[in-house]
Amino acid sequence: MKRTLRNILLTLCAISLMAGLSWAETLKVGVQAPITGSYANEGQGIENGVRLLAAQVNAKGGVLGQQIEVIACDDQGTAMAAAICAKDLVNKGVKMVIGSYTSTCAEAAQKTYFNAGVLQTSDGTADSLTEKGYWTFLRNSFPNSAEAEFAAEYLVNVKKYQRIVVISDFSTYADGLANATEAAIKAKGGNVVSRDKIKADSQNFTPVLTNIKSKNPDAIFFAGYYSDGGQLRAQQVALGIKADFYGGDANDNPDFVKLAGSAAQGAFIINVPEPAALPTPIAKNFIADYQTKYGEMPPSIWGLMNIDGMRAIIHAYEQNGNFDNKKAVEYLQNMSAPLEGITGSIAFAKDGNRIGGAYVVKRIQADGSYANEYVQ
Amino acid sequence: MDIFLQQLANGLTIGSMFALVALGYTMVYGVMKLINFAHGDMVAASAFVGLTIYTQVMGQATSLLAVIVIFLLTALTMACVGVILERLAYRPLRNAPRLSAVVSALGASLVIQNGIMLVWGPRMRIFPELVPQVYWDFNGVVISMIQVIILVLSLVLMLALYLFVEKTRVGAAVRAASIDQDAARLMGINVNSIIALIFIIGSSLGAVGGLFIGLYYRGITFNMGWQYGLYAFIAAILGGIGNIPGAMIGGMLLGLFNAFIAGYVSSTWADAFTFILLILILIVRPTGILGERVAEKV
Repeated sequence: MKRTLRNILLTLCAISLMAGLSWAETLKVGVQAPITGSYANEGQGIENGVRLLAAQVNAKGGVLGQQIEVIACDDQGTAMAAAICAKDLVNKGVKMVIGSYTSTCAEAAQKTYFNAGVLQTSDGTADSLTEKGYWTFLRNSFPNSAEAEFAAEYLVNVKKYQRIVVISDFSTYADGLANATEAAIKAKGGNVVSRDKIKADSQNFTPVLTNIKSKNPDAIFFAGYYSDGGQLRAQQVALGIKADFYGGDANDNPDFVKLAGSAAQGAFIINVPEPAALPTPIAKNFIADYQTKYGEMPPSIWGLMNIDGMRAIIHAYEQNGNFDNKKAVEYLQNMSAPLEGITGSIAFAKDGNRIGGAYVVKRIQADGSYANEYVQ
Repeated sequence: MDIFLQQLANGLTIGSMFALVALGYTMVYGVMKLINFAHGDMVAASAFVGLTIYTQVMGQATSLLAVIVIFLLTALTMACVGVILERLAYRPLRNAPRLSAVVSALGASLVIQNGIMLVWGPRMRIFPELVPQVYWDFNGVVISMIQVIILVLSLVLMLALYLFVEKTRVGAAVRAASIDQDAARLMGINVNSIIALIFIIGSSLGAVGGLFIGLYYRGITFNMGWQYGLYAFIAAILGGIGNIPGAMIGGMLLGLFNAFIAGYVSSTWADAFTFILLILILIVRPTGILGERVAEKV
């Protein structure tokens, strides 16, 4: 009996030692993404991408000799779950967190990562994300203000629409983008006839659209997510509203086209160029590897933006020769030449914003594919 | 006026979907005095079952016949699931305190919801365009073919159910079981069969409602049952829970109320107003619009 007890204790000791050793030897990378819920498509794309990059880095010997261990947490696209995820990932000892997809979730988790000194890189485009002065936050996409400026310029000065409607949901991202776009349109002398809000996931947007119809718009700009955008477009066409439909960047997802069905044709989406159009070898190789491993294209550009954020941080660790997060951020903000990324060159400004970014307007064709309508 | 008529059409469309789902709540409550919280998730499940039947059984056929077969097969499948649900989750608790059965219903709701997630995944699934996108424009009021189908089919089903319950012998047995189960049993009515029948009818109507949601909105998620279940539940209470015509009227009224609030006040406030309406109804007329005032036995 005593011997059995001793053996059990010894085994436990051995296990904890091994666990301790392996803990010391891995670089823990957290993924905070909406793996379930309305944005699951995007969330799974982020997780898949991070796991693929981790496997590729590990195959080449890891980062400074350490293997990457990926720890994923599902924030379901809700702020509440995001806050829980942040605490959980910090407790598990991650050095950096990739995600989340939505600005709302990235924002809800930001402070926890900042307090713990954990780097966070998210594709969230809400301007507020970089306005809090958290040095731990690195935006791997481009802020709403840049997209709003482009969208307003295009709608007002290129297409010369006279009666523009701006719609958003209530999320940090969508509301921010819509407000910025509305302000930019007005600043350029454009006419916003209505600024409406819909409730995400409520599916029935016809009452709001019916009111919009009476204002007789010639363009609708929707700053929201694809899961609502596709239905909004379908219901717009069903109501016989002839206005041109412009979806903001978060509508850039294959599900938008599927949801809108035959109504998708002729809708426009404003975003940075899509994954398939990325010209560099590094992008082509990564997307090919992704397809080989998961049997599908990355759902959108957003997952790849997040992968670029992760690559940048790993690059900084390797250049510095240590895992000091503060030094890594300093390095990324003072690079002599930008790092070549999947989604274009990567460099960060002092406030954590990614520098650069060009937008395109894409028209959805009859077969659901994109055609470039206008390139910045 | 255009806006008013358009909102009226919108309201009637969603209202008839609410009404179909509400019937499932109200019939079960009428006979068993149980709020079947799993009903909303059954509705969500039927949309997924319909999608699978479309892709796997029907080979993505989109003819009228194929659509009818999809509706029938989905209703049949969900009727079976409904009967199994009653057997497993409710019958063992028939004589238990009312609260136990409600907890069991909530548990069944979670099991079905997570079951959908396990089988079909957490991603939003997209329903095929089975009804051609045809629209008619009446002086600015646009009505689509799918809206007409939803409205007409719902009304036909509700009328059929009303006639079945009011005019047939089995319908009389259902009414008897809802008034007093013990007395009904003494009259030679097999109450277990009646309850099974209630679940078959309720689940089938819910299945049609679920398919309508899929056909009308196109995007279906595993957790959408809660939202539709809640609305239908409110519709059932609005019309008088346990009362079949009440559920129909409650569903239609709720749909119209929602459309007009969203259209004339704000879509943001539609939900809040819906619950305010529910509270007002409960204060002013706790038994609902058509519910009968039952004298309390002292």
